[in-house]
Amino acid sequence: MKKMKHVKKAAAVFLAALMVVSGTACSKSETGGESGGDTTAQSGESAQSGSGTHLNFSCYNYSNSMDPVTNVNSSWCFLRYGVGECLFKFDEEVQVEYALCDSYETEDYTTWVLHIRDGVKFSNGNDVTPTVVKESLERVYAAEADGSGNSTPSQYVTFSGIEADDEAGTVTLVCDSQTVNLPGILAYPWYAIVDTSVIDEEVIGTGPYAVSAIAENSTIDLVRNENYWDGEVPYDSITIYLTEDSSTKAMALQSGDVELVENITTASDLEALEADPTYYVSTTAGVRLGNSYFNYNGVLGNEALRQAIQYAIDDTTMCDVTVGGMYTAGCSVLPSSLSYGYDELTDTYAYDLDKAVAVLDKAGIVDSDGDGYRELDGEKINLNYVAYSSRNLDEFAQAVAITLESIGIGCTVTVQDYDTALANQSAGNFDLISSNATTVPTGDPVGFLGNFYSGNSQDYGYYSNEEYDALYEQLLNTTDEEEQLSLIIDLQQVLIDDAATLVHGYYNSTFASRADAVSGADIVPMDYYWITTKIKPAE
Amino acid sequence: MKKVTSFIKKNPAFTVFFILTLGVIAVAVFAPFIATHDPYEAVLTDAVQPPSSEHWFGTDRMGRDLFSRVIYGARASLSASLSLVCIIVVAGTFLGIIAGYFGGILDAVIMRISDMMISFPGMVLAIAVAGILGANVTNAVIAISIVSWTKYARLARSLVLKIRNRDYIAAARVTGSKNGHILWKYMLPNALPTILITGATDIGSMMLEIAGLSFLGFGAQPPIAEWGLMLNEGRAYMTAAPWLMIFPGLAIFITVVVFNLLGDSLRDVLDPRDE
Repeated sequence: MKKMKHVKKAAAVFLAALMVVSGTACSKSETGGESGGDTTAQSGESAQSGSGTHLNFSCYNYSNSMDPVTNVNSSWCFLRYGVGECLFKFDEEVQVEYALCDSYETEDYTTWVLHIRDGVKFSNGNDVTPTVVKESLERVYAAEADGSGNSTPSQYVTFSGIEADDEAGTVTLVCDSQTVNLPGILAYPWYAIVDTSVIDEEVIGTGPYAVSAIAENSTIDLVRNENYWDGEVPYDSITIYLTEDSSTKAMALQSGDVELVENITTASDLEALEADPTYYVSTTAGVRLGNSYFNYNGVLGNEALRQAIQYAIDDTTMCDVTVGGMYTAGCSVLPSSLSYGYDELTDTYAYDLDKAVAVLDKAGIVDSDGDGYRELDGEKINLNYVAYSSRNLDEFAQAVAITLESIGIGCTVTVQDYDTALANQSAGNFDLISSNATTVPTGDPVGFLGNFYSGNSQDYGYYSNEEYDALYEQLLNTTDEEEQLSLIIDLQQVLIDDAATLVHGYYNSTFASRADAVSGADIVPMDYYWITTKIKPAE
Repeated sequence: MKKVTSFIKKNPAFTVFFILTLGVIAVAVFAPFIATHDPYEAVLTDAVQPPSSEHWFGTDRMGRDLFSRVIYGARASLSASLSLVCIIVVAGTFLGIIAGYFGGILDAVIMRISDMMISFPGMVLAIAVAGILGANVTNAVIAISIVSWTKYARLARSLVLKIRNRDYIAAARVTGSKNGHILWKYMLPNALPTILITGATDIGSMMLEIAGLSFLGFGAQPPIAEWGLMLNEGRAYMTAAPWLMIFPGLAIFITVVVFNLLGDSLRDVLDPRDE
């Protein structure tokens, strides 16, 4: 073992020398090194300047804003950093529980009377009153309407009226249509409550921590919210280090620069942390689906070709080996860890490479000109596979492309940045496009399943199936939970039978912490929550 | 034969490095005979295996044989860097010679463009160009060409300026030689040895630039076997599977050293002034 360590050290030194000599590790690697250096210096400063308990947390920077109206990512940051809260929140089982709202009444699922918890204050000491809640909700809709924000709260619910009664402590919400899952929707970060009286200067929430300083793209300093309503806040201050690179995050944890990191996406780094008892790694089968959408307006409108692809792809190996267990393999669009009847589903196209070849041959999709690639309608198949590098999606794309090439289906992977890929997705410029999305953003999968409804599917490859549409419309109009579940199972099976999308697996979220410094650093399935009061200094 | 023997005796260093260079080129040309596996054949279940008798350099994250990929990588890296050097040598020398010989507005325009080009950090500009053109090896070659021709233009111009006003040039003009003839017969041969030496020495650094762009994602794209790209692919596994970076890194290192030494020894052969 010791010898192995020496070998590794020697290898590391040699590698470093090589990189210096060859110079190939130019700007990218240097950037990583520099930011690592900065981290050390700043960490030292923070440790010196702060007295009392302090946490250094490293995470990817999804947004420089924390205002829920700015966009999806900014609203998520508001909650993730422990700065803001919603009227409701999700627990570890993805069940909705009360937060700033402590009770509600509804008779028809259209008019909802929410009671706002008494005595709650914003971190600046201002009271959270029904009027502020009303203004906060109205603000996010107003920003969507006038284009000043990119958040789209009307996607989940629209209100014909919002009334506040400060004396009774209630807010009355009148939905435009029956909305059974309103508490779940209001737990979505877009509907987080901000102090509207000061929103022009700063974004103030009710979370356990308040922002004290921001160095854009570098650090965010948080301090304890002295007015927090839900128990004791364990840390006096927290420094969030915004780190782009997953390996850098892992190294910052190992060097002691930070005590907690989120989502190490490099399998080898994660393995090293899991194997070392110095670190506590919390993993949860998350609610995110990793999949690739097919474009039905292209060659993948051909059913036999889609079926062959489904047969050819070995999801289990890709999830366990190619991406090193970062995903859990599965066949349905809804994660197996959620209670949507995964066990009742039949995997119609389970991995079988021979069957894939047989399906292609039977459908006449063969290589007739001997160039090694099959043709469809006389044209050589060359699938345009668009991917982006977030959450191992590019690795999936490459593995899929390699597999398809082996059965004579040409496939060119183009790795693009997220925004470009998204633009190509909307424009339909793809045959396959990778995706990683939360399947239950508001606690139920109705919205996500809508991606395959023909009325919405233009952004997701133009899938269309009359049976699916009918079942989905039925789902929208039912309030009975059992019927909902039954319909959701049926919808999943239709998608599987139709080879509608290439499911890779379900993303496993992780938190890694230094066991001697931090306790309670457990990741929850809904990744709206990172910094919570459950994360405490180790005793 | 006698000539060859005496040349070898006179230039032993050059001979050794020339043979080594031929060896590197031979690896690229005869890659299919040297590689033990198909460099693009992936066995996903065999991903990231350490070096063994079956896979001499181990396997990468897609389960491809790393030894075969490193061998095939010589093709991509060599062809890209040789064509890049050819482009910049030809373009830079041509522009430099006509700027130096004709002078005036032509000289001013070419040299000011050249000044503009060298006022940018080369790699950053290359990244910008490659980013705009789209990421692939051809565009990486174009991007680096755009920022690298200036060196040859300036060099060729200065060499031409040195002889432009010599008596024998004037004599050629007086005897009715056309500009084209003078450029071809007097200017180019005068500039060529220095240009060739610089070009040979540049092969190594151009190889590094191309590998650098590929490492950053602006050059070769998966699944191409290219050393810079292979370094990038192995980066995430640097601690757990160091062979993913060591072998492509070694390949770059060895090839660059060989070409740099060849360039140095070529100078000793072509430029006798240092003797």
